[in-house]
Amino acid sequence: MTLTRDRLPFKLAAALLAFAAVFFSLRALDDSGTGLPLAAAAPTAIAPDATTDERIAALRAQIDQTPSDPEGYVSLGGAYLTKVGETADSGYYQDAEDAFRQALRVDPDNFDATTEMGKLALARHDFRGGLRYGERARQINPSIASNYGVLTDANVELGRYAQAERTLQTWVNLKPGLAPYARVSYFRELHGDLPGALAAMKLAASAGSSSKDFSYVQTLVGKLHFDSGRYAAAERAYRSAQGATAGGYPGALAGLGAVEAARGNYAAALGHYRAAEQALPVADYPLAIGEIRELQGRQAAAGRSYARTEVLIRREIPNGVDVRAELALFRAEHGDPDRAVALARATLPVRPSVTTADSLAWSLHKAGNQPAALRWSQQAMRLGSRDPHYLYRAGMISLAAGDGDRAERLLSTLESQSPRFNPLYAPQAREALAQLR
Amino acid sequence: MKKLALVAALVAVAIAVPLSIGSSHREAPLSSIDPTGDDTDLYAFTAEDAPGALTIVSNWVPFEDPAGGPNFYKFDDNAYYYLNIDNTGDGVADIKYLFDFDSKVRNPNSFLYGLGKPIDSINSPNLNQVQTYTLTREELSNGNVTGSKVLARNVPTPPSNVGPKTIPDYDKVQAQAVKSLPGGAKVFAGQRDDPFYASLGRIFDTINLTGAGLGNKGGGVDDLAGYAVHSTVLQLPESEVTVDGNSVGSDKSKNAVVGVWSSTERQTIDVNGNGSGAYSQISRLGNPLVNEVIIPLGQKDKFNRTTPDQDVTNYGKYVLQPELAAVLNILFDVGAPEKNRTDIVQAVLQGIPGLNAFPGKAGKNATDTLKINLGVPPSSNPDRLGVLAKDNAGYPNGRRLTDDVVDIDLQVVAGALVNNKVPLGDGVDQNDVEFLDAFPYVAAPKQGANPDAAYGSQIKALASAGSDQLPAFSASSSGDSGSSEEDDGGTSAIVWILIAVGALVAVGVAYRAGRGSGGATS
Repeated sequence: MTLTRDRLPFKLAAALLAFAAVFFSLRALDDSGTGLPLAAAAPTAIAPDATTDERIAALRAQIDQTPSDPEGYVSLGGAYLTKVGETADSGYYQDAEDAFRQALRVDPDNFDATTEMGKLALARHDFRGGLRYGERARQINPSIASNYGVLTDANVELGRYAQAERTLQTWVNLKPGLAPYARVSYFRELHGDLPGALAAMKLAASAGSSSKDFSYVQTLVGKLHFDSGRYAAAERAYRSAQGATAGGYPGALAGLGAVEAARGNYAAALGHYRAAEQALPVADYPLAIGEIRELQGRQAAAGRSYARTEVLIRREIPNGVDVRAELALFRAEHGDPDRAVALARATLPVRPSVTTADSLAWSLHKAGNQPAALRWSQQAMRLGSRDPHYLYRAGMISLAAGDGDRAERLLSTLESQSPRFNPLYAPQAREALAQLR
Repeated sequence: MKKLALVAALVAVAIAVPLSIGSSHREAPLSSIDPTGDDTDLYAFTAEDAPGALTIVSNWVPFEDPAGGPNFYKFDDNAYYYLNIDNTGDGVADIKYLFDFDSKVRNPNSFLYGLGKPIDSINSPNLNQVQTYTLTREELSNGNVTGSKVLARNVPTPPSNVGPKTIPDYDKVQAQAVKSLPGGAKVFAGQRDDPFYASLGRIFDTINLTGAGLGNKGGGVDDLAGYAVHSTVLQLPESEVTVDGNSVGSDKSKNAVVGVWSSTERQTIDVNGNGSGAYSQISRLGNPLVNEVIIPLGQKDKFNRTTPDQDVTNYGKYVLQPELAAVLNILFDVGAPEKNRTDIVQAVLQGIPGLNAFPGKAGKNATDTLKINLGVPPSSNPDRLGVLAKDNAGYPNGRRLTDDVVDIDLQVVAGALVNNKVPLGDGVDQNDVEFLDAFPYVAAPKQGANPDAAYGSQIKALASAGSDQLPAFSASSSGDSGSSEEDDGGTSAIVWILIAVGALVAVGVAYRAGRGSGGATS
């Protein structure tokens, strides 16, 4: 802090001089009455509603003028992170990292660069790195609320749920708002408290006014309704999420796809999923398309969708994103289960969470090792998850491992809570339950 | 002025990656951009048509693009919006007005604003999305609520100005949102044109430094033009806010001064789901300078959590030695005193003795509240520079909608009150839209269906046009006192947009540097 504060006048001055340069150039043209080509001015322009590309160009131009201002790099890195969200192209992570590292080179104690490095690490599923940067940022300035979000997310994914609860509570108490409410919702959901999760997510949505952030949390409101078997309420939430962002919101479109699939309207479901994938190429969407095609007996088409799913997961790897837990779960179902087991096991040390336990358990189940699958399934369910897919997998594993009581308990819960959670797997769960009864 | 923070924050928007496959890791937004919890500007004045009353305008939700549908902007139903009044000078609220909002969608399957037919009144059944509020007056003693009274329930906010097809006569509909309360008070809440004006870029316009005397050369661009905010407006008979419950006799009366600030609270909740938590303050706003320029990097979250009575302990040193003064010197060599700025403490936090300082010992308390002497009659010819131009009915004695707080603050920091008069200014001297002569004073928002309603839309239009199709730049005059609006008229829209845009970057940058990206992450 001391260092930062001492540097402040210098930084301000540098930035103001940069501004003066921009202004003088415009003003000079003004005085001479010469034409002003848009192309010349655009690179230094950021309007409140500029596109991310415009923002990146402007920030780069600004950095050229004030290379010793750390905040320019921080802003540029943030713009690259936004770009990932808009394009699902994780190649921008490297650009973001370069920018944040530049900021830290200029100012090693820069709070923003440090916490942003934490966010970047989280985005790449490097949760230990996220925790490290989050702790470092907390040392630099413990009074800023949002960094507790970095710490919360890292702790959750590292399976440190008690620490996660403490940092999250600190965050909520410091500054309640959309981001911490959404985390409280997720924490409750992880522990099987779906009504509590919905209440917190509704607070998040209410804080969102009209924005992309609103669409994001409103999509999660829809998912919580969906997971609780309330398909009409889910549809309403997805529709309002879709409507709140100009041009629509892919996650909400996919949610509408899930609702239509639950109703058996597969053509409509496919339409929504295709539109979602067209807007944003994310692995979840072709996976859902593949499942519907498989259900319809169109094996070749399903195979193509699954292949596309794997491509979309794997394309994250060169960009430094650890997707082994995701890939394990996918391959357990649609690939080589033994390789899935290896992937999930390799993930355990870096991500000892219920998520990884669930992936490992399902991989072991598919690879035929039912006793080990059951042990890891118990780990996956240790917080009391009511996620329909978790319930399904844990139920099926229990059945295969010969624990009929557990299987019946989990699958009955699933049946009463979320009977149409997935067009392909819901009938299998129902059949298994019928066997058990 | 707080919206400058948003400009800066927008530079680094949150990641919003979709839920990823099989993974529970959710990259939910981590950004601190929180429009519904962001008090952007506060005004407190005696209106010309209501001389016996205190009028307060407080704005939230910055940068609303009137074309931002179909979900449209609103207050947060789950937040508490407060206007606070201190009538003893200790920085602790003695009276609070609480706006508590509630939204309804009449047909949840439709996300249209209207339900097919034109909306001709605020209670029209064709209006699909409605937000209403309950207004409560709280009395406090030593910060504890001792009495609470609901003044009005289910008062409708006007619909957003979505366009003539949906709302043919918007003026009529919005006027129905003005509610008269028993005892002569009035209240309004809803979308309005943002009354704040500034050329975000020209705040540090070096050109204007070559002029002599107060005032600048005009020619700046109101970068807030076209954007709307959500306003709460209250007009309260003096007797409802003064320390003794009486009207104010004159500017010398002991009960003449009150301090005003806005604040926003949200509920803290228990992470593990047991019970609901207390409401907790997430933002506040008194004077237009303090949060933006004086509170440094890394202190903003704390500032927004704390209350005015703690200000001198927490932030006094930053006011005494404002970094902006040093920066102005580095840049422009204006000779601004850099240390021991008791003049700023007085102007901003204590009030000017004999004008808007509390009488007696309380006048020494340094609290960030907007202090107004209710005994000063409104000026029939307000000067945008307020007290600096000897117009005592304006900022920092309260703040009128027309007061040019950017220019005033720059000049005060440069030393205007200690005989160092420097004609700093941003070149924008008035809002792009005229204010109303009558309650609620702030103008109606521009129309959403009009593609030119927000300059953001114009920028988008420009971006899609080829640069070779653009008309040549026509020189604009910059006469000594030309208003920005007239200058705009003589200049092609493209040019002013470019200037505004270029300026925005730089000040976004300057601002970020000044506060760090505290704006983005705090």
